[in-house]
Amino acid sequence: MILQLKDLFKWVNSGGQRIFLLNDIDFTVNEGEFISIMGPSGSGKTTLLNVIGMLDNFNEGEYTFLEESVHTLKEKHRAKLYKEYIGFVFQSYHLIDELTVYENIETPLLYKNYKSSERKAMVADMLDRFNIVGKKELFPSQLSGGQQQLVGIARALVSNPKLILADEPTGNLNSTQSEEIMELFKTLNRQGVTIIQVTHSESNAAYGSRTLHLKDGVIVNTH
Amino acid sequence: MIQNYFKIAWRNLIRNKGYSVINIAGLAVGVAVVLLIGLWICDEVSYNKSHENYDTIARVLKHVTENGKTRTGKPMPYPLGSELRAKYSDDFKHVVMSSFHTGNVLSKDNNYVSKYGGFMEPDALQMLSLKMIHGDWDGLKVPNSIVISQSTARTFFGDKNPIDERMQIGNTLDVVVTGVFEDLPYNSEFHALEFIAPWQLYTISYPWVKEARDKNLWDYSAYKLYVQIADGKTMASVSENIKKVIYNHLPEYSKKGKHELVLDPMKDWHLRSEWKNGVRTGGFIQYVWLFGIIGVLVLVLACVNFMNLSTAQSEKRAKEVGVRKSIGSTKKQLVSQFLSESFLVVLLAYFIAVIVVVVTLPAFNALAEKQMTVPFYTISFYIVSVGCIVATSLMAGSYPAFYLASFRPVKVLKGAFKAGRSATSFRKALVVMQFTISVMLVIGAISVEKQIGHSKNRPLGYQNNGLIMISKDTEDYQGKYNVMRSELINSGAVIEMAESSSPLTDVWSTGGGFNWEGKDPNFRMNMSLVSVSHDYGKTIGWNLVKGRDFSRAFSTDSTAFVLNEAAVDYMGLKDPVGKTIRWKGKKHKVIGVVKDLLVESPFEPTRQAVYLMDYKNTNWIELKLNPERSVSKSLAAVKSAFAKHVPNVPFDYKFVDEVFAKKFVAIERIRKLSNLFAFFAIFISCLGLFGLAAFMAEQREKEIGVRKVVGASVFNLWKLLSKDFVKLVVLAIVIATPLAYYGVNSWLNNYTYRTQISWWIFVVAGMGAIAITLLTVSFQALKAAVANPIKSLRTE
Repeated sequence: MILQLKDLFKWVNSGGQRIFLLNDIDFTVNEGEFISIMGPSGSGKTTLLNVIGMLDNFNEGEYTFLEESVHTLKEKHRAKLYKEYIGFVFQSYHLIDELTVYENIETPLLYKNYKSSERKAMVADMLDRFNIVGKKELFPSQLSGGQQQLVGIARALVSNPKLILADEPTGNLNSTQSEEIMELFKTLNRQGVTIIQVTHSESNAAYGSRTLHLKDGVIVNTH
Repeated sequence: MIQNYFKIAWRNLIRNKGYSVINIAGLAVGVAVVLLIGLWICDEVSYNKSHENYDTIARVLKHVTENGKTRTGKPMPYPLGSELRAKYSDDFKHVVMSSFHTGNVLSKDNNYVSKYGGFMEPDALQMLSLKMIHGDWDGLKVPNSIVISQSTARTFFGDKNPIDERMQIGNTLDVVVTGVFEDLPYNSEFHALEFIAPWQLYTISYPWVKEARDKNLWDYSAYKLYVQIADGKTMASVSENIKKVIYNHLPEYSKKGKHELVLDPMKDWHLRSEWKNGVRTGGFIQYVWLFGIIGVLVLVLACVNFMNLSTAQSEKRAKEVGVRKSIGSTKKQLVSQFLSESFLVVLLAYFIAVIVVVVTLPAFNALAEKQMTVPFYTISFYIVSVGCIVATSLMAGSYPAFYLASFRPVKVLKGAFKAGRSATSFRKALVVMQFTISVMLVIGAISVEKQIGHSKNRPLGYQNNGLIMISKDTEDYQGKYNVMRSELINSGAVIEMAESSSPLTDVWSTGGGFNWEGKDPNFRMNMSLVSVSHDYGKTIGWNLVKGRDFSRAFSTDSTAFVLNEAAVDYMGLKDPVGKTIRWKGKKHKVIGVVKDLLVESPFEPTRQAVYLMDYKNTNWIELKLNPERSVSKSLAAVKSAFAKHVPNVPFDYKFVDEVFAKKFVAIERIRKLSNLFAFFAIFISCLGLFGLAAFMAEQREKEIGVRKVVGASVFNLWKLLSKDFVKLVVLAIVIATPLAYYGVNSWLNNYTYRTQISWWIFVVAGMGAIAITLLTVSFQALKAAVANPIKSLRTE
């Protein structure tokens, strides 16, 4: 088991009313799973993903990540935890515009205080694995969307996370690019990386081993 | 990691060239101003430090209290020097009596040149640690010797060693050169010193000095006294010991007032030279403080620009912050990243500033009348530089760093984030602060201007155009007045000539002891005494308000007095003309009253003065040039007449109006500096405003597009965008007005004769600030307003 959410609630107060963003979520993820989260707009998919990624807080319930109770941890420890084990992939890639492909991939390693020689080897490995060695000196604006997302995934993977969280990773891509990215996720999953993706597309969801349907913050079914 | 920070900082600078230029230029100007002010302050506080015994040298001052008022003065009685040497030997290392230094004619063979100097006791050379090029510190121990400066030596002897050469002082005293000292730096109290002769020579050569020695005159003060206190003694303790020395020796009839001696340490000579009622009140030090504060304010303005533009750009950087946080950056790491960015900007700005300083230093030196250099060869320069860079980086970078680093990644990455807005009120406060400072400086600058104009327009009480004065440095003029006068008038070069004891631009002697009917017996008075020749009034064109001028037609005029209006008030005379005043055992009749003559500070009230006829006691010749002749021709004629009658005296004249103008040098310098600083404050503030307006226009691009589509005119949009800024500036004016009023008021209190603070100054400064704001903002506002709305709406 990699993580477990138990009786988890998240709400906002609006005009004297309590609006539930996440409502009594019970959810366990085991190592090696590839989970898709689906649901209409505003159903709480991204919120759930952010909570799992510890970028966002929740109001009630328990969250255990690798035997650690996240809800009792201090901000600092939490940051350490996700820095160590979680990689993010965003719909709009969110690469740093002022850094080259190489530097973008290198950045997470800087925050983990890897030595310069180690960093070089790890980034080179990633560039090689994703076939983008020739593009390492380019800036994000010089790449196509699919290539940018490749870099985004490479950046998420470079520090060997246990879990990848992907928020509509193919949302801005055409169908060919989209397929390539999903194939890549599948391969990664086979190599042992746990993946949780949010998606609108049934075909993308089909790549996963399990799909979670959300509506108004409630898990309506899993299959 | 650091490398990565600098890399991204550099790329950001390159990408946003416009903002970078504004940021760096603003900071560079701010730092350059601070560096210049810093150099100026260092120079001011380094005065006299070239003297090795800087810490232990003092001059002796005397507080005299009369009629409840205390005056502080430098003149000391002759016997004081030997008294201190004899009875207080434990307290002093050196005691040096000195004459007041003045211009004196030095001559060698047929070369006559006026040089500045005087007579001092032999210890002077050692006490002042003069660097001797020839001879040694014992030079003045030889009677009939003279020690001259290097430049004086060059004037008379070229590159030859002048030791043992013969010279003359004042065409009467034969002396032998016993030493040559290196010229003193311009920031020494003694920098003008061109020669020193022995005190002994002074005493035996001038009867009035000899008399002071022989009769042990404790109540006649005409000399200066410098001392160096003994090792292990403090200024305060020595000062306390000698406090009563003069008083104890005064004859009973002089003891009515309080006489107290005080040591004035060398470190206070330049910056804290003002005394009021026996208490040190400061002096030039207030300008050191003022400009220091202004320097810091200008730097703050520049830092505010930086903060303003950095937070304004935060929307652009927000995404980066979000991404970095989501891939594992801590807040601390982000803060250090942004701080290293500001460090980079400040570093660049500092280099540019140093270049600016090097380039502008000659001009600034001319303005400040100094010879400053950038101290590239001292370690302290680099220590101060690093300190300055780090401090400025922290001051400018801290807020933006913490602000940016605190963004929440979830919000930022959703894309709904509107960063600029949240810090708007902070940025508004910064703009208000900038303009408050700028408006205050402008009000200050206008007030200085007004005070100068006010005192320059003050009535002089005499006609100074075409009026020249010549100092009678030697005895050669004795008995030649009438011959020279009639010859000069007959030549048509001058229309009148006169002589006087004081120059027209100073008071050289004062005195008391006047008695008249109805005088309060306890009133101890002190008036300026001017001995003049018959033709003084006609020469200078003074204005008689009552009675008549001195006249050769009345032989009784040899004992007559002419008073100025201030004297009539001071003495409380109802009907002055015809009154008899007793003075020095004689009766003097008041024959006339003249309007006050402005001879001392144009910022102080005129002193009560009495004019009397005394041909024997005159030091100056005044000549009124013929206005119908060309000045150069008249001067040539005057020169040849002088060459004929006093051949051994160099012809050295001064225009009275030029000498008078020098009284404004100090305040003029303050005017120039305050104008300069006000200009830079405005410039930096506008730079910031310009950047901010550009950003505002950019941020409201969509709003402007929508408004345009629904029918807003360019004028509507211009108004919309400019209004916000004008509001801020108006608020700044409201805050600045009372602060500036307080500041200007306390500055003007330094001057007894001062201008009023008029309301129009505030209006002009305020309108100016608004106008310049509109000018700065309008460019951006119009650019945004005329842009095609289709473009801005499509981008969303």
